[in-house]
Amino acid sequence: MKELWRGARLVAAKDLRIEARTKEITVTTAFFAVLVVVLSSLAFYLDRNTAKSIAPGVLWVAVMFAGITSVTRSWGREREEDALRGLLLSPIPRASIYFGKLFGNLVFLLAVEVVLVPIVALLFHLELEPLLPTSVLLLLGSFGFVSAGTLFGALSVQTRARDLVLSIVVFPLVTPALLGGVVATRELFAGAPISEVLGWVQILAAFDLVFLGAGYLLFDALLSD
Amino acid sequence: MSALAFDRVHGERLVKLYGRTRALAGIDVAFAAGEVTVVEGPNGSGKSTLLHLLALTAKPTDGVLRFGKLDAAKDARTIRRHLGVLAHASMLYPDLSGRENVRLYAALFGVSDPTARADALFDRFGIGPFGDRPVRTYSRGQLQRVALARALVADPTLLLLDEPSTGLDVAGVERLVEVVKAERDRGAIVVLVTHDGELSGKVGDRRVALRNGKVVEA
Repeated sequence: MKELWRGARLVAAKDLRIEARTKEITVTTAFFAVLVVVLSSLAFYLDRNTAKSIAPGVLWVAVMFAGITSVTRSWGREREEDALRGLLLSPIPRASIYFGKLFGNLVFLLAVEVVLVPIVALLFHLELEPLLPTSVLLLLGSFGFVSAGTLFGALSVQTRARDLVLSIVVFPLVTPALLGGVVATRELFAGAPISEVLGWVQILAAFDLVFLGAGYLLFDALLSD
Repeated sequence: MSALAFDRVHGERLVKLYGRTRALAGIDVAFAAGEVTVVEGPNGSGKSTLLHLLALTAKPTDGVLRFGKLDAAKDARTIRRHLGVLAHASMLYPDLSGRENVRLYAALFGVSDPTARADALFDRFGIGPFGDRPVRTYSRGQLQRVALARALVADPTLLLLDEPSTGLDVAGVERLVEVVKAERDRGAIVVLVTHDGELSGKVGDRRVALRNGKVVEA
């Protein structure tokens, strides 16, 4: 287990170091996500009440698209110069690569959300009070999305139709989490107390655990010839 | 330098199927310490597949692969600690410097002092003057030097070379020849897959020829 976390730490540190230097993933996905939010606010805005109903969908769609872009680019770095092969040749447990990449992808997505949430709140005239519980929902939803995306993103490194494969596999899998996140966020924005969305929080947490476990168990098999 | 972990690698009745395609058709191969074995054959003969099996990046469909007393099916992680692979692609991260890349691989291989190991390899291959620049800015020759340092980071017992001279100039090939000879003299098992007759002539001690997934000369 110690080896597992040591390897994961090295892989994650490598991804964060590269991103800190290039800022390629966070900046491009943040621009993309903000553009989705701004265009949606212009296209769908009617009045303050309608805005509150639309905001959850816009927020989660922006997060999901940012997530898939981030995961794709992160695995793209492993394709360049056949770097993933270098990781696979090293003696760290294969699951270390999964957990390391997962952590890196999660940090990239959360960094985008830090920018995104205030912009959504501003453009859609949201109250500040539900934003804290919404952040918890976003954290859980992002974790689940990144767990699934990182797992199947590894497949995309070895496939020619990589973006297509990733989108076709990941989006149907994360739909339950996406639906849960959207509905719970809508309830919170409509003024529901936190106790009313606890069921959705539990579903999101269960989804996260399932994908984390699947990643741990399946990652080696997905990368084997 | 670390002691060699095994003195022989041998495979018995190795079969590798990709769907219905039989890449290896039940071959027996053996590689000995202190020897450079050149694996030859036309495209599609099974050379790369054999190298994948030896690098443990693929599993045989059937047959047994042993690294000394270690079994590839059961002891893969232990064996990986003693493998070094040099291919045409450098397996380096272009946005990290050469030094960061070699330190990363030293750490991944569990080397006790990755910084000192990177420094030693940088001295050996003369990487110092450019080693702190991003790999993306390197020439092919510079890339090869850092890739060599990466491949040798854990003093491998088995060194696998997959078309390592592709795109190299004369100086690069000469450097490669020196390294291969030095590793052989250290006692490492060296397996070289190449179409470069000049390189195999300079370093090869033994030939294994493959055709259609079978050994036709050993």
